[in-house]
Amino acid sequence: MYNSKIRGPLVEGNKSLGQVTREVIAPLESRPGLWWTVALGLSSLATIYGIYAIYITVYKGIGTWGVNNSVGWGWEIINFVWWIGIGHAGTAFSIFLLILRQRWRTSINRAAEAMTVFAVLCAAIMPALHMGRVWLAFYIFPYPNTRGPLWVNFNSPLFWDFTAITAYLLISVSFWYLGMLPDLATIRDKTISKIRKALYGFFSLGWTGSSRQWIRFESLSFILGGIAAVLVVSVHSIVSTDFAVGVEPGWHTTIFPPFFVVGAIFSGFAMVMTLMVLIRKIYRLTDYITDNHMDAIARILIFISLIMGTAYLTEIFIAWYSGNKYEMFTFFHNRITGDYKIQFWGMIVCNALIPQLFWFRKMRRNWIALLSVSLLINLGMWLERYTIIITSLTKDFLPSNWVSYTPTIIDVGVFVGTIGLFATGVLLFMRYIPMMAISELKGVVHIGSKKED
Amino acid sequence: MNRGFKIGIFDEEEKFISSIKLLQEKELNIYDVFTPYPVHEVFHLLKRKSKLPAAAYFMGLSAILATLAFLYYTAVIDWPVVYGGKPLNSFPSFIVITIVLTILTVTIGSLALFSARSKLLPGRENTIFDHRATDDKFVIVVETGKLDKSEADKAEKIMKDQGAIEIIDKDFENVNA
Repeated sequence: MYNSKIRGPLVEGNKSLGQVTREVIAPLESRPGLWWTVALGLSSLATIYGIYAIYITVYKGIGTWGVNNSVGWGWEIINFVWWIGIGHAGTAFSIFLLILRQRWRTSINRAAEAMTVFAVLCAAIMPALHMGRVWLAFYIFPYPNTRGPLWVNFNSPLFWDFTAITAYLLISVSFWYLGMLPDLATIRDKTISKIRKALYGFFSLGWTGSSRQWIRFESLSFILGGIAAVLVVSVHSIVSTDFAVGVEPGWHTTIFPPFFVVGAIFSGFAMVMTLMVLIRKIYRLTDYITDNHMDAIARILIFISLIMGTAYLTEIFIAWYSGNKYEMFTFFHNRITGDYKIQFWGMIVCNALIPQLFWFRKMRRNWIALLSVSLLINLGMWLERYTIIITSLTKDFLPSNWVSYTPTIIDVGVFVGTIGLFATGVLLFMRYIPMMAISELKGVVHIGSKKED
Repeated sequence: MNRGFKIGIFDEEEKFISSIKLLQEKELNIYDVFTPYPVHEVFHLLKRKSKLPAAAYFMGLSAILATLAFLYYTAVIDWPVVYGGKPLNSFPSFIVITIVLTILTVTIGSLALFSARSKLLPGRENTIFDHRATDDKFVIVVETGKLDKSEADKAEKIMKDQGAIEIIDKDFENVNA
């Protein structure tokens, strides 16, 4: 009932059900290519660098970072917001399209959810380290304690943030794993390796594909999808209140929640695009992730990019319209011109202007264009967080507080480490977990193809 | 005690659906069917319904009440602290935590209920009637132990006529499904 004839086949090449199984689990059954080993080596090196940086941070304290009395939030918070934003789209992609019955999500949702899980893990490292004494991080849990019992401040957005991120991580892992069950069972029943049979058998929890299991499975996916959709919107709104509740010029605005949510979905969709271009290129899965899929994501990116452009203009307009001289200063003398103008204009160009290239069909069908624009959007979104955090903090109300900010090698190390962790996660995912939801693909394999007409 | 089953294997959804219809017409009890992906017509024919949404609703309702009660207890009764001159029971700022914890409770609760009802646990081995059901075949299982010989033959004939590629007779000692 929700199938569109306009969109064309969701899976090309008139595949049989058995073929779908074979082709999707082929990368798991064969030896990984040389590129995979090399990539895993590089990402592990980056992770090790990150572990070293985290070790120094924990051992010596956050004095090893570039933060100072005025700029209390540096790279770690920029990266936290950046990662959590990327982590959003996986769920946004998978869940919004699920509850809107957009069945073209089927070949992309598994990878998008995997991306979410690893990105949220990377994000969670940042605020934990920022607490300073990370071994006391459990103080933030509201448990009956011997300190009173003194409870945490339930009115603080920072505590909301902790609650939301923890819940988000648990829920996205659950949703991802639930969707995987039928596919793990497929591998269990299909593989000839004894080790794989035992492992996937253990993790498939005894899935048989009976009608009783399927109806509960479907109903559970919709329950989880429906409620997690609320979470997707609320988590990044909460992240934005971390800023909006503070009185710094440039932060204290009501546009922040929608602005952050849209920005998060923007960066996440760009990351989905990056991964999809690579996966379909490397594993030759163009029959499943078709040009039409990439086209659809590119169109969504244009749309979100327009919203981002509007949000940037609105912020600048309101700064002028409010007549507040601190806001005027922040936007006109500190962001548009000033020490950090390169970051500001980089953000405008990467987020609001470059994605407009996708108005051209040629650009939406060219994988190099798709890859470079999606990487530029991710860069742009990083610059956006840099602009918001650093410009407001370096020059606030009192000129005697003004300082400049430069990250240290340890800041960079923590960031590189999380990139390494993310890449390692994605590489392991490609190797050990079916990259596409096999059972869902089987359900859509004939939609729009000749057989149905 | 061994239980006997007749397992019909189909490679096309249409043939599989029409066999289910015919078997039901003849009141030959279908034990269960196994498919590589959810087939909605099957839920309809076998009258499968899930009470998970209702259960999830009540879990959500109790989570809302429990969270608000906990926040009220900690912020107003147990250790009242005034933050920025706001009232102790500052309901608007409790909403966020309530929403998040409700979502978390519903997720974990309905997952637990799902795994209990569907008998899914790490390392559990449920009876697999035919290995191909998770790949590309549609499987109908009829319990022959409950039927007499002529009825079992009738079931076999219906499935054969509808185009089953294979009919297997199998006995299982313990059936977990």
